[in-house]
Formats: sequence, structure tokens, C-alpha cells
Amino acid sequence: MFDIHQGPAGEVIMSGRLDATQCDAALKFLDALARPEVIDLAGLEYVASAGLRVFLLAQKRVKAMGGGLKLVNVRGPVHDIFRYAGFDQVLDITRAAE
Amino acid sequence: MESRTSVPGEAAQLQALTQFLQDFCATAKLPPATTLPFEIALEEIFMNVVMHGSPAGRLAQVEVSLALSDDDLTLAVEDDGPAFDPLALPAPDVSAPLEARRIGGLGVYFVRQMMDAVSYARTGPRNQLRMSKRVTRSDAAPAGTNPG
Repeated sequence: MFDIHQGPAGEVIMSGRLDATQCDAALKFLDALARPEVIDLAGLEYVASAGLRVFLLAQKRVKAMGGGLKLVNVRGPVHDIFRYAGFDQVLDITRAAE
Repeated sequence: MESRTSVPGEAAQLQALTQFLQDFCATAKLPPATTLPFEIALEEIFMNVVMHGSPAGRLAQVEVSLALSDDDLTLAVEDDGPAFDPLALPAPDVSAPLEARRIGGLGVYFVRQMMDAVSYARTGPRNQLRMSKRVTRSDAAPAGTNPG
């Protein structure tokens, strides 16, 4: 199960499992936003390389507009995946409080 | 403890394969933190087969097997697609600037990082990728105790 929607403050909220079969939906959602900024990942349980591509493409688009994504409340195991990929160097990522 | 399943090499089967893995790990009483690297490895290797294993309209058949020994869980993914060794892919540059970042190769890189042993073999018409990692069962006796 995967869900993506916009919260009251305009932040993007993702939850569940962002596996390879959910990436098109996630990308489409983000592409429809003029300029996404904060993505709350408190409920995101799982991501692999296909899911990382969603964040990479969104970050490239937003960066080209002079902005930058902020991934907040990232759970430990998901944070590890971002770090393995070296994405902590190209994205602003804040880990969830334990 | 062993289990195997076989599915056509199409993305829609990923969920069923993940369920197969999760069911196996639940029965084996493996904690979720132990299961996660295998879920990722399964997605990465299966999606490689989905993308590369079925040329010219012929759908590859993919067999996934799990074997748990005392210390290790082994995941094997076999397919009857064209010979393809994902371990031969060059490692991605995980320190490149944003503009130069690509996803290609990252999945196999994850698998190498997370597993203790990874091997590829082409046996007859089949690709076989074996991945194993030391696991701890949640019902295992704590170290230093003497059961019985």
C-alpha cells in the first residue's frame, strides 16, 4: 500500500511502500505541483532504487527553479537507504526523532 | 526451511513476490529489520529481470526461492531470459553532484552493500542470482545461554 497526498500546510505526505510499481503515480503527483518543497516521510516504510529515482527527478526539477526539496521525518531504515545511495549529499534529509 | 514460487517476469508480480518473502520470514520468526534487506534485494533483482529479461515479446519466467539455515537466509532469483549478469554492471558514483546522478546500477549496488554474499551463474538457459545474509531469529536463545 502506498499513499501520496498534500497536507494542510502544502507539504507532501507519503506513506506506505514506495516500490517500483508505485513510482509512476508518485512522480505524476509531484510533477503536478508547481514547486514541491517539504515532503513528510514519517509514514514511509520502504523504498528501493526505483523509489529513489522519484526523489532524484523531483529534486532536479525543483533545483532548476532555484529551490530544493526537504525530506523530513525520515525513518531509520529508509534514511539508511538514502545514505547508502549518497543521496544525503544531494538532498536535504532530516531523520525522524527516535 | 525452504520455499519457492514462480511468476511471469512482469512488474505486477512484485507485490505477490514481496508477500511470498514476508510470509516466509514471518513463519521463520525473522524480525522485520532482518527482512527489509531481502525485500529490497528481491525488488532490485526482480525488476532487473522485468526490464531486461523479456525481449521480443516473450515473457521470462522467474523462480524465486528462499532457504533458511541455522545462520543464513539465502534468496535465489532464477529466470529463463537472455544471459545477463547484473554483478558485471559498473558501480554507481554515489558522490556525484546532483546533475550527474543516475539510478542505473544503484539497485545492484544496494544488493552488494546489504548482503554478505552475492553470486551469479548462467546455468543452461537460466540466469541464477544467489544472495545470502546472516540472520537472527527472534525466538533464538540469547547468546551465552545454554538451552536445555
